[in-house]
Amino acid sequence: MTVQEAAEGLHSASPSPVSASPTAGPATARVPRRRRVVLTPYFLLIPAVAVLALAMGYPLVWQIITSMQQFGLAQQFGQPAPFVWFDNYARLAADPYLWTVILRSILFCFVTAAMTMAVGTLVALLLNVVGPVVKVVIQIAMLLAWAMPVVAAMTIWNWLFDWRRGVVNWLLTSMGFDFQDHNWLQNPLSFFFVAMIIVVWMSVPFVAFSVYAGLTQVSGEVLEAAQMDGASARQRFWNIVVPIIRPVLGIVLLLQVIWDLRVFTQIKLLQDAGSIASDTNLLGTYIFQLGTGSSNFGMASAVSIFVLVLTVGISAFYVRTMLKEEES
Amino acid sequence: MKRKLASVTAIALASALALAGCSTGTTAGSGTGASTDGKGKTITLWLAGGDTPDTLRTYLKTEFKKETGGTLNIQQQDWGDLVPKLTTALPDANNTPDVTEVGNTQSPTFTNVGAFLDISDMYTELGGSNLLQSFVAAGKVADKNYTLPYYFGSRYMFIRKDIWSKAGVAEPKTLDEFNSAVATIAQKNPAGIANFSGFYLGGQDWRDGISWIFANGGDIATVKNGKWTATLDGAKSIKGLEQLQAIYKTASKAPNDAKDSNQYIYLNDDDAIAGATAADAATPVSLAAATIMAPGWAHWSIGTKGEADGKVTRTWDDNTFGVFVLPGNDGKPAPVFAGGSNIGISAKSKNPGLSKTLLKIMFSKTYQEMLGKNGLGPANSKYVDSLGSDEFAKALIASASNSKLTPAAPGWAAVEASNVLEEFFSKIKDAPDLSALAKEYDAKITPMLNAK
Amino acid sequence: MSSQIARVGGTPLPRRSSGARRATASRTAGRPRASRYLYGAIGIVVALIWIFPVYWMINSAMLPNVVLQSKTPTFLPFGGSLDNFVAVVSGGTFLPALGMSVVIALIVVACCLFFAFLAALAISRFHFRGRKGFVLAVLFIQMLPAEGLFIAQYKLMASVNLLNTVLGVSIIYIAAVVPFTIWMLRGFVAGIPADLEEAAMVDGLSRTQAFLRITFPLLAPGLVASGVYAFLQAWNEFTVALVVLQDNSSQTLPLWLRGFIQASVSKAIDWGQVMAASTLVAIPVIVFFLFVQGRMTSGLVSGAVKG
Repeated sequence: MTVQEAAEGLHSASPSPVSASPTAGPATARVPRRRRVVLTPYFLLIPAVAVLALAMGYPLVWQIITSMQQFGLAQQFGQPAPFVWFDNYARLAADPYLWTVILRSILFCFVTAAMTMAVGTLVALLLNVVGPVVKVVIQIAMLLAWAMPVVAAMTIWNWLFDWRRGVVNWLLTSMGFDFQDHNWLQNPLSFFFVAMIIVVWMSVPFVAFSVYAGLTQVSGEVLEAAQMDGASARQRFWNIVVPIIRPVLGIVLLLQVIWDLRVFTQIKLLQDAGSIASDTNLLGTYIFQLGTGSSNFGMASAVSIFVLVLTVGISAFYVRTMLKEEES
Repeated sequence: MKRKLASVTAIALASALALAGCSTGTTAGSGTGASTDGKGKTITLWLAGGDTPDTLRTYLKTEFKKETGGTLNIQQQDWGDLVPKLTTALPDANNTPDVTEVGNTQSPTFTNVGAFLDISDMYTELGGSNLLQSFVAAGKVADKNYTLPYYFGSRYMFIRKDIWSKAGVAEPKTLDEFNSAVATIAQKNPAGIANFSGFYLGGQDWRDGISWIFANGGDIATVKNGKWTATLDGAKSIKGLEQLQAIYKTASKAPNDAKDSNQYIYLNDDDAIAGATAADAATPVSLAAATIMAPGWAHWSIGTKGEADGKVTRTWDDNTFGVFVLPGNDGKPAPVFAGGSNIGISAKSKNPGLSKTLLKIMFSKTYQEMLGKNGLGPANSKYVDSLGSDEFAKALIASASNSKLTPAAPGWAAVEASNVLEEFFSKIKDAPDLSALAKEYDAKITPMLNAK
Repeated sequence: MSSQIARVGGTPLPRRSSGARRATASRTAGRPRASRYLYGAIGIVVALIWIFPVYWMINSAMLPNVVLQSKTPTFLPFGGSLDNFVAVVSGGTFLPALGMSVVIALIVVACCLFFAFLAALAISRFHFRGRKGFVLAVLFIQMLPAEGLFIAQYKLMASVNLLNTVLGVSIIYIAAVVPFTIWMLRGFVAGIPADLEEAAMVDGLSRTQAFLRITFPLLAPGLVASGVYAFLQAWNEFTVALVVLQDNSSQTLPLWLRGFIQASVSKAIDWGQVMAASTLVAIPVIVFFLFVQGRMTSGLVSGAVKG
């Protein structure tokens, strides 16, 4: 079935005399033509819900159950898994290492997301002021960077920062700094610095395009009027531009936070290249190490659920605002 | 062993029986004998990494077809992904590989949870006591054989003879001599290269570094009444750690986080084409160490640079490069970490009979000697001669003669996967109190060893 | 964002025309020349920074390994050749993996857009019991870390006999991408007043014509933007593929690339070939991007604004 057929199906279905139901709340009043149709939205949701229930629902339920079991390799090979209820969680809560990793992850996530937002917004502003040729050049560069497969990109970045042959060391050394054989991944701080550069590099195109899209909604006349009234560039940005693009900034920031908090591939591949894993684990790699590495699937599941709750908690404020708007 | 090392060499195996492949009912253990009725059937063999050369794979397929009329489907799995793949596929009767290679240090973890078929009934037929016994032990639970050795490898030292002689040090006969020789080279730095290592030993390279603990009589862990205890803080282990600390401080300039891959690049001269870049015309940019410890196959990547068909070639030159076995202080070679892998039949295999026939082919004289000719140590000690008699084969056999495996504890794979040993080794160099450090890590490792 | 949906849904105004949007660009014309050059220069530097790793990949792919191992980097592939590419492709495993990836990516893009379009219709044009719950679930489901899921995903696929199949891995990808796609599309759908289409029908267009001429063009940028996202995810995904596609004959490109890198670790790493392999994985994406580029930017613009 094509999109079009589906759309037609929708339209032909809508006038069908399905009786009104009390579940159609007052909000329906805004779309009066649809008032009597209560089953249609459920039909429309079937494919999405079915695929989500199958491919995400089952693993989620498995993960919740497993997080309350003692589940190791023996259980995977058929031994019964004893229920320990919240023991895994209790052990995690008592483990200082987990808290170190959580703190580290949150810090990394916030700093990286903030950097990505700042750089992405600046690039978007830049796109708005440069001439058409430069604009196309920047857009193409961003698109190419965005299109790089993660494994390929990490191979390049690992190599750029390679301690012996890396171009970064070569450049810095040629500029007169002593970076000969400098190992970036050895020290956790500079490891995360490199990781941040890579993640920011990969995420900025999405942010820049989205924010640029938002900027095109800002009316030039209003800005000019404000300029004539004596508003400085800074004032114009914060008082006119930002409020208009606030929805874009909000959604993009939320996505960055979600993605950066569970960043995995980049950290794992950097760890493979160097660094001491326990000093550089973030939540993603820690779960991987517990589960895939140590076959402690019960604990790995517990950490996963924990991360889910943590992310929900961090984004709760935003989600609440969103829901309020939804209801209004 | 597991990853890189896997590709190397060594010891012993099967009886001529397997040649014919048509032995009659050997029934025991699991009750199914080898079957040769494979018409229309396919069995799957997982090989880890690219260590088994293509000619050997082709031989297995052809021979299996000849013996049984069935098809052998060989799937290569990367070493890095083998554990998650075995974890998911082995318990799944519909998708399990029938026969799989498994790293020798990963074997205890899987045999202890019942992942493999009991093949005690074939043990004698496949080589019995001629099989490399430390590997056999890694596949044994409660006196039953579940996995058997596939091939072995070993590590030895590769040196730059020119640098060693310029520094005025001779080939060491004892471990102590070795330790002081590499420190002297680093200190004299006869090639005048910045950050030059007498012996390049990465900070996280426990697979090579562990030899110093072994050589002093120490061990990672011991077992008593079925309970494993980490023993890094034992007096003998500490002695090894002290020597390692000295190497890290004085002889090696390797980064703290370096692991055991590609060390050979530090031993080669200029990797750049002369004149390719102005600044680089004649500088030996690649050379950074006088000694490395590596699996035997590293010798293919060490030598004088040449070019063939646009590819770089390395030709070994006896005047510049040399190999020797890390000596112990007791006149024997120092125990090195034995590399290699085991092979077993999945307990969930639907074709145990055909799988047993495949094992017979793999333990046959022909196949074992094919392993040897490709530089992989044959599992059956009767065929070790097939490795040849050049200096690499000799070093391989000598170093393997006293090689050692990691503890056959049920939780060993978890210890490796958690990187706890990498972490421990990275802290040796700057540890003010080695004993306290060792105790700290013993406390981390012991519970992992016993976890099932 | 959601408030806007309600607003747009309630007052059926057409979206700002692209002409109005373009007008904002003229603003730059009045700037002093010096600052334009300055911005232009900064813009070029930014572009260089973002393109450098991409350039470096292609540069390295053209150079023989011997040059690459030099301590002094070679910045221009003079005397370079396509030998590395030939060597990589003639390995014989690249093309099957390419085929596999293309098929999976197309299935994922098509199904995602279709499923998400329907769901977006439901949540932006209807109010129904469970709507809020669905929106929340779609948001939160993206927050579950995937690293611990591999056993469950394997068991799921094994139980429905879809291991090593295009369909199996596609289902998981669709589920992973569809939440974000729903989010993106619902802004667009909300932005298209149903009355527009119906007005067109009053004017004598058939339902199909009305959809094709009125609704679809308005929706196209959103579909393109979401499609690009779905394509990228399906193209790059790698951990699920690792567990669900264990058979060598059903590898996707990221698996192939990783296998390629790992295989060369135990020998000397042939950086030139690894980079050539990486380039080959990236090229189809770049082509796809250039193909949809124009529409995508505008799609992202309106999609993001509508949330």
